[in-house]
Amino acid sequence: MLFGVVKDIVIRFIFFLQALLLCFWWFEEHIDLPIWIRVIGRLHPAVLHLPIGILVFAIFVLLLRSELKKRAFRNIMMMVLLFASLTASITALLGFFLSHQSDYGADWLQQHRLSGILLSILCYLLLIGFERTQRTDTFFYATGGLAIVTVLFAGHTGGYLTHGQNFIFAPISDPRLHTVSNGSVYQVAILPLLERKCISCHNESKSKGKLIMTDLDKFRHGGKKGKEWVEGAPDKSRMVRYLHLPMKDEDHMPPEGKPQLTSSEIRLIELWIQRGPDFSTKVDDLNDGDSLKILSKMIGGQVSVAPVILYNDIRGASATTVAELNTPFCSVFPLYRDSPALQADFFIQQSYRPEQLSRLKAVADQLVVLNMNQMPVSDQDLETIGNFHRLEKLNLSFSKITGSGFKGWNGFGHLRSVALTGTAVTAENIKPLLAMPALEEVFMANTSINEAQRKQLAKLYPKVRLVVNDFVDNQTLKLSAPAILAEGLVSKGQLVPIRSAMPGVTIRYTLDGSAPDSIGSVIYDKPLSVSRPTFVRAIACKPGWYCSAVTEATIFPEGLHPVSATLLSSPDKQYPGEGGATLINGRKGFLDVYREPSWLGYREQPMEALFDFGEKSKPVSSMVVSYAHNLGSYIFPPAEIEVYAGASVDKLDRLVITKPRQPQKSEPTRMGILSVPLKSASHRYYKLVLKPVAKLPLWHSGKGSKGWVMVDEVFFY
Amino acid sequence: MSKEFIDHRFHITRKHFLGKLGLGLGSVALGSLLIPRLFDGEDAGQESGFVPLPHFAPKAKRVIYLFQNGAPSQLESFDYKPMLNKMRGEELPASIRMGQRLTGMTSGQKKFPLIGSHFQFAQHGQSGAWVSELFPHIAGLVDDMCIVKSMHTEAINHDPALTFMQTGAQQGNRPSMGAWLSYGLGSENKNLPAFCVLLSRGRGNGQGVYSKLWTNGFLDSIHQGVQFSSSEERVLYLKDPSGRDRQETRTMLDQLAKLNDKSYEEFGDPEIQTRIQQYEMAYRMQTAVPELTDLTKEPDSTVKMYGADCLVPGTYAANCLLARKLSESGVRFVQLYHQGWDQHGNLVGEMPLQAQDVDRPTAALIRDLKQRGLLDETLVIWGGEFGRTNYCQGDLSTTNYGRDHHPRCFTIWMAGGGVKPGTVYGESDEFGYNIIRDPVHVNDFHATALHLLGLNHEQLNFKHLGRRYRLTDVAGKVIPGLIA
Repeated sequence: MLFGVVKDIVIRFIFFLQALLLCFWWFEEHIDLPIWIRVIGRLHPAVLHLPIGILVFAIFVLLLRSELKKRAFRNIMMMVLLFASLTASITALLGFFLSHQSDYGADWLQQHRLSGILLSILCYLLLIGFERTQRTDTFFYATGGLAIVTVLFAGHTGGYLTHGQNFIFAPISDPRLHTVSNGSVYQVAILPLLERKCISCHNESKSKGKLIMTDLDKFRHGGKKGKEWVEGAPDKSRMVRYLHLPMKDEDHMPPEGKPQLTSSEIRLIELWIQRGPDFSTKVDDLNDGDSLKILSKMIGGQVSVAPVILYNDIRGASATTVAELNTPFCSVFPLYRDSPALQADFFIQQSYRPEQLSRLKAVADQLVVLNMNQMPVSDQDLETIGNFHRLEKLNLSFSKITGSGFKGWNGFGHLRSVALTGTAVTAENIKPLLAMPALEEVFMANTSINEAQRKQLAKLYPKVRLVVNDFVDNQTLKLSAPAILAEGLVSKGQLVPIRSAMPGVTIRYTLDGSAPDSIGSVIYDKPLSVSRPTFVRAIACKPGWYCSAVTEATIFPEGLHPVSATLLSSPDKQYPGEGGATLINGRKGFLDVYREPSWLGYREQPMEALFDFGEKSKPVSSMVVSYAHNLGSYIFPPAEIEVYAGASVDKLDRLVITKPRQPQKSEPTRMGILSVPLKSASHRYYKLVLKPVAKLPLWHSGKGSKGWVMVDEVFFY
Repeated sequence: MSKEFIDHRFHITRKHFLGKLGLGLGSVALGSLLIPRLFDGEDAGQESGFVPLPHFAPKAKRVIYLFQNGAPSQLESFDYKPMLNKMRGEELPASIRMGQRLTGMTSGQKKFPLIGSHFQFAQHGQSGAWVSELFPHIAGLVDDMCIVKSMHTEAINHDPALTFMQTGAQQGNRPSMGAWLSYGLGSENKNLPAFCVLLSRGRGNGQGVYSKLWTNGFLDSIHQGVQFSSSEERVLYLKDPSGRDRQETRTMLDQLAKLNDKSYEEFGDPEIQTRIQQYEMAYRMQTAVPELTDLTKEPDSTVKMYGADCLVPGTYAANCLLARKLSESGVRFVQLYHQGWDQHGNLVGEMPLQAQDVDRPTAALIRDLKQRGLLDETLVIWGGEFGRTNYCQGDLSTTNYGRDHHPRCFTIWMAGGGVKPGTVYGESDEFGYNIIRDPVHVNDFHATALHLLGLNHEQLNFKHLGRRYRLTDVAGKVIPGLIA
């Protein structure tokens, strides 16, 4: 009774499993499995033996039928079939999960999956049939037989997936025995490639598209659409075109689901067709740099592009050990994913402590690369490094060693490369190092080892490459210009430093506008103190170098402040600035950007400006006009300057009338300074008149036309 | 455990939530058994079990990319075409041009007069590679270099071509090469960013550079390139404010971390943890960066090798020297951009100035890495975003000429880091217009560079907007001929 109830439930559950299985199969592309399902999926290889065993057991039950009572037989058979169907469905479901997580060869996978699902359904039908009829009729034997065949097939294809197609006979038929060491490109690379990826469909027995690749003549002849290639033109060759077609295209080769050609393999085929296709040239006869040779060797299995360095002799350190060694100043990490070999790098000189190096002893068996570039490593620390017997590469450049610590070293059977550049090592001290058996190169530029010593060492240790910097340069170079670290307005008493980043240079300067030179000009020794607007020009010089280009800056120290400034004549409409305030607002203009309100522009009439110092005026001893000296844009110094002063606006006396020097030829654009010395006196009002040049000189391209005057600021001292 | 559950709920993005909701019939059948991503608190696009390490043993550990922004002419540098001198002024044959597209700058031109190099070429080294007289120092290193004469790209204008070269896509929303490496390899030195960017300006016609070129794209913001300033203070805002000492900064950061930890416990947003780490890195950079940018300890011989400009911040020479210092300190990817290579006109005047700025420091960088035993693990790349045309842009005068953009064929070179030294790879036709042997697409170049760094370009991916992205996206193949 109880058996009957359980049986019903189990049969329904099995039905549900069939439905689920079909759903998964049908909607496969829309399903995204969570990770824990993957774990369950991995039980597939364990569970799959159950349905196989149980089906075999069912055969035994049939064979022993005559020994059993009718009822006993039926119950036993029922139970066996129930269990077979249940396990077959679960196996199929788990197999489905498993198939989602690994790159199984797609060609067998599909068949294996179909057979699994089929088996599950056959078992179910067998169960239902027997449950309904309770007899072993034709249907029973038919489905049963089919189930046995399917289980064999599924098992077979499953075996292919896990062990490879040629698992059983592999020991006696190693395909690598076929590769020819010095064969033609065709023999070495093309044929093995075709065998791997094409020939399963294009052979004498299965010639898809009537193309047969196993026979050279038939291959040359091509398939039903004719020849597979156009001599020397891979782009026009069908074979190549089919390789490049999108996966979904019906003509794409190899068909979807089959193992595809890698991009290098496609490239190999292209190059091979480009050369003929070439059936005869031997790989070794090709030039070394020839891509065809490189690819042939790579795909022919003789060299690998991937630089595989295996560290089979190293047992990996535990992840916690490695994690504990990592600090911000010492990074310890595997050379690549899953590599047991480790690299350690040290950073930040001031944070280096010898104890950190000692801690690395925990991974002495794994440490392959140690980088202590720039670290203050001492000769005592070399003793610690002596423990890292598995080292291949060691960088001690610019450390504090002299090399005396190398004496104690032994057993560095793998050490290949050591960098000692910029250290105080001596020729004598590094001899024990150079005697290391596997050593290939030592970098030793900027050490005390001279050329003669190096040659001697090279003779003593011919296996080791001793690398120095072979850069010789007899050319004399020009220094970079120094930098004047102030420009434009500076506050009262602010010093003007000049600096060159180059150590050991002499900076010379002039303040009178003349070009500085390396002999006569003043030597800069401390920041300049500037009390009046000054044009500073400086160069840097150093023995063994050419002097630098001239660097220049105009400095305007802060002066006396008028209370207000008023324009008595209006500026040109294009350059109105901000009225009179423009001249005393402490804002300098940029050369070339005259439409900006820092500038006042005059051309048609003279500029007339009135400055008011208020009731408590201080004595003024000079007046400085800052103007644009931009001859190319017709902007010249004013032709004439007049300065008036007095106690009231109506009663101003002319103090000065002067004509500034006019340029005689084209000059570079700069911020110009016009200094007008005055007899020191305190006046409330000052009036300044600047007359533009009426006619530009004959040498100028705009000769005869009116010149501009552009002013951005007026200073009083 | 309860914290992990709360955590995990915050790690589900809207997309993932909807994605998991729509699992389909299968998940309905399995019902509430499913707790998605229970063991998987990784960043959204990262594959579970992702570790930032090379896939296989790498040849190069770091990259210094000397980007010559604006596209230097291959015909005046490394691709010697005497035929162009012979046929000076003659029309570019239609059989060579084959109707291929031109930029808007020369498409209106009625004539395409061929023009050969104004500068002399000579063979150098044991490899016998041709190099023009503009690059005497680089020419002395051809036996260390792998010159690729058959580069080609898809874009014909600066912005897309530059973006393509740097991110593997023309549109500029993808992570930069340096960001991919930072993601794939992680940081070697925890005191410095894994990806640093240095800019300099030349004396020729320039093109802009912009921060999208060193973006992290959809990767974590930790992988973004950090731009160093050209001023005396190379990393801005790194100094403590005056009046606050280091101990106070430490105390302040500890307190701040406590507050941040609190809000992390409350909200579980992983970006909070990132922020705490960034503060810590900035704190450590306060020690690391002054050590790096201190050039006073460089020996005179080094200064002479790089040229005097290497001590002036913001110059190409200074950036080369700093690049070496960053690289030897474990920075994975140092990206330089040197502007001013866009010689549409006045090539004869501008190119020598550009070459002068670049030649000596570039050669010095390679020699410097070599003498320190670092060249074999540092991949140095030199090149622009495309090439230049073999015909003159505008009217051909007797003394001067210019060249337009040419994406179909150009030259870059690499040194160190496992590239095959003393190699000239690929070949252009006699006119320097089309590639006739071994073309290398930008994607191939990326694939090969990643390969040298121990990364399989097809496996280094990140899931974003519902699909997996790679630096090479859906193309690219490793070029074995470039690898030692």
